[in-house]
Amino acid sequence: MKRIITPLFRFTLYLVLIAPLLLFAAYAFSTRWFFPQPFPAEWTTTTFQRAIHDSRTLSSMAQGLWIALLVSVLSLILALPAARVLGLRKFRGRQLAWLLLFLPTIIPPLAIGMGLNILFLQIGLAGTIAGVILAHIIPTLPYTIFTLSSAFARFDENYEFQALALGASPWHIFFKVTLRMMTPSLVVATLFAFLISWSQYLLTLLIGGGQIITLPILLFSAASGGNPSIIAMLSLLFVAPPVLVVAFTARQLNQHGEEIREQY
Amino acid sequence: MTTVNLMSLNKTYPNSTAPVLKDFSLSINDGEMIALLGPSGSGKSTLLKLITGIERPDSGDIQFDGSSILNIDPNKRGAVLMFQKSYLFPFLNVEDNIGFGLKVQGVSSQTIRAEVKRMLNLIGLPGIEKRKSGQLSGGEGQRVALARALVTNPKLLLLDEPLSSLDTEVRMNLQEAIRNIQRELGVTTIFVSHDLGEAMAMSDRMALLLNGEIVALDKPENLFHRPRSVAAAKFMGVSTFLNGNQLTVKNEALSVPKVSSDQARLLSEPSGRYTKLFAIRPEHIRVQKDGCENSMQGVVSDCVFRGEYVEYQIAVNEMTVRARMPMPAPMFPHGERVFVKFPREHLFEVI
Amino acid sequence: MRSHPIFSPWLSLAPALTIVLVLLGASLLYAVAESVGYISVIGQSKFSLDAYRNTLDLNSEFWASLEFSLWISIVSTLISSAIALLLAVWLSERRGNTDTLALNWNLAFPHLVWSVALLLFLSQSGLFSRWAASLGLISTPAEFPVLVRDRFGIGIILSYIGKEIPFLTITILSVLRSQSVGYDVVAENLGASRWQRLRYVTIPQVMPALLAGSLLIFGFIFSSYEVPALLGVGYPRALPVLALRFFLDPDLRARSEGMVISLIITLIVMIVAVVSLKMKDEG
Repeated sequence: MKRIITPLFRFTLYLVLIAPLLLFAAYAFSTRWFFPQPFPAEWTTTTFQRAIHDSRTLSSMAQGLWIALLVSVLSLILALPAARVLGLRKFRGRQLAWLLLFLPTIIPPLAIGMGLNILFLQIGLAGTIAGVILAHIIPTLPYTIFTLSSAFARFDENYEFQALALGASPWHIFFKVTLRMMTPSLVVATLFAFLISWSQYLLTLLIGGGQIITLPILLFSAASGGNPSIIAMLSLLFVAPPVLVVAFTARQLNQHGEEIREQY
Repeated sequence: MTTVNLMSLNKTYPNSTAPVLKDFSLSINDGEMIALLGPSGSGKSTLLKLITGIERPDSGDIQFDGSSILNIDPNKRGAVLMFQKSYLFPFLNVEDNIGFGLKVQGVSSQTIRAEVKRMLNLIGLPGIEKRKSGQLSGGEGQRVALARALVTNPKLLLLDEPLSSLDTEVRMNLQEAIRNIQRELGVTTIFVSHDLGEAMAMSDRMALLLNGEIVALDKPENLFHRPRSVAAAKFMGVSTFLNGNQLTVKNEALSVPKVSSDQARLLSEPSGRYTKLFAIRPEHIRVQKDGCENSMQGVVSDCVFRGEYVEYQIAVNEMTVRARMPMPAPMFPHGERVFVKFPREHLFEVI
Repeated sequence: MRSHPIFSPWLSLAPALTIVLVLLGASLLYAVAESVGYISVIGQSKFSLDAYRNTLDLNSEFWASLEFSLWISIVSTLISSAIALLLAVWLSERRGNTDTLALNWNLAFPHLVWSVALLLFLSQSGLFSRWAASLGLISTPAEFPVLVRDRFGIGIILSYIGKEIPFLTITILSVLRSQSVGYDVVAENLGASRWQRLRYVTIPQVMPALLAGSLLIFGFIFSSYEVPALLGVGYPRALPVLALRFFLDPDLRARSEGMVISLIITLIVMIVAVVSLKMKDEG
């Protein structure tokens, strides 16, 4: 009995996990799939061709990529010094600092976005790429800091002392020793900052105000009443970066999965 | 090459009231290996941090060859460290690890290669240039770390318990290797340890540290045989201290080496307070069935067979005497009445 | 590099803290200001509690939305927690981390995409409906049960449990993997049956993590917008959907009410978060 149940159970689990991709592919690459047919009858790349030549889709992807790239780099720069002291030092108020940096994960993006919408309208950041980037940093920063600080907590500062005593300059030590040793965590932190930004809908909507269109915005409006083929194609384009990232960082994820919470 | 002067160093960490180092002074001769021995918290590691420049002293000065180094950047001081862990950079192979210090100085890669080769021969591991640091055993790792420290021709070598995580045999080999290489290169060295045997085996002079102060500084053999203070004696494994009251039992005085002229008078008074204190090493105390000159009666509270010697704990009056006799030595059951003998020539005065 | 006392840790924390606190602080400040009548867009600046009064009026849509939001949040949380617990216990008895890797796969599908997938699977013209029809169970799309955009939020709940089960499973699994190796063996050696071990050893071990995780996802579900906006119906709307619709309403007076609702959501989520943090500390 047990021999059957375990593989069956596992098969179901894996099927559930892979099903969305298969579904999207079926809808996106088929045509004239009418109601009672259980499977697509005719396969086509027309939707795909149209999507990759559609300027709206392309520009939304490019814009989303740029935003996510800048957001992850900025988060990293802001997070590194903070993560270092949180991971390596004990000081008065450390708990408080944690709590304050933790706040963006507790306060709903809805409230943050609505408040920022007013603020950014007043200071002229609404509807600009800069405004959207700034808003995206709020949810990405905590995750970047958590990932990096736990990496710093495992890091032994004596490597730095060693390099220092051997005559290396602080600059050299930071780039060639410290960052080098933290590369796996840096990669994970950067990628997930990227993904959080890439998949951000609400903040982009509220700050971008229709001026900044990213893929989730297109997908959302398509899904509210569009052609299934187009919805599926946009979904495929939307999940392509996350799928690649998760596939390539699978091993690190097992160590860091904890820190990457379900906001993403 | 380098004489090192540590002058009246004081250091108290912020958020702490107790000083880690108190008016700490020490002069180290050119080419000398000096051991700093002390329990954790005695200030050893802080001292190394001050010398390397990771921390700054509150007051005092550190001089190499007569000139202060306090205002020299840590990476320009030429004081290299070797820790308990090798801290070989995991992303570099053996050659690049050893060459690290030369590379950051901008030495040509050709020279680096030659120097690395020379160092690998010196540490007895020729030909392992391309190995990953993760593929080295603990002892090999420490040898490579030593090579990495020495290749830059440092003014001062600092060894922070570099052997304490190794197995006994590897450790013995490395003690010898480090000692030989240090002598051969004549590099001034500070060796921090909490292991007495290792410190004695390695060093020209030994400094005993307690609460940020040096309680004794001498050659290992002098400190071992005749520590001058109670603190120093305890460091060196002495646990039996006898004062005037204990030296006099039932009006029968133990005889001690002549230390001063008023000794006889004080000893002759049974209730007199004899202010001098004597100590004796555990291996010099004899435990035997019969009483004799200079012996006191006691009860065996513990008797442990340790292979090469037998360890005794004997309750004598209110004090516990710990003795250790080489094999063959008698074993006594718990509660047996025995005599402990303090041979006169082995009692020494401490203050 | 060096621990100079002048380089206080706060100097390193300053850039990150400044960004977070300035943006969060300003946004909350504006939210509160707008909720009490200071609407900068139309230059209105008269203190009034009308928005609060209108929102909390017994006849307002707010109460139906609150009920609906609580319903989907509580049901999703309970179902996810129960299934995740079973799944984690089951997986913890199996060696290797292939399954954990599989669970992480879930990260590749943001909530939005997962909801879209459910839409394509479960809608009346969706894949399952087609399969049912080709099996002869139904003859027209309208005969397929309404599972998304339905009155009871079934689609919303399904979407959330699909995303949260893997998340909670990984959380519980990491607790089980980190400490239970010995205890289970000890309990077995002392004569505990399989069920007793689960009841007296395993569950107490994971309880703090499970509770904290459950509260966390409750707060998340209660306050998130995309899923109910995509898979919900026109009435009742989930609170975040209601808040955003009011906020974006062309009638600018509705903005204040949107802000009020958003602040109420924030308050509830914050309370849940504090309870969750407390539990984590005790665990």
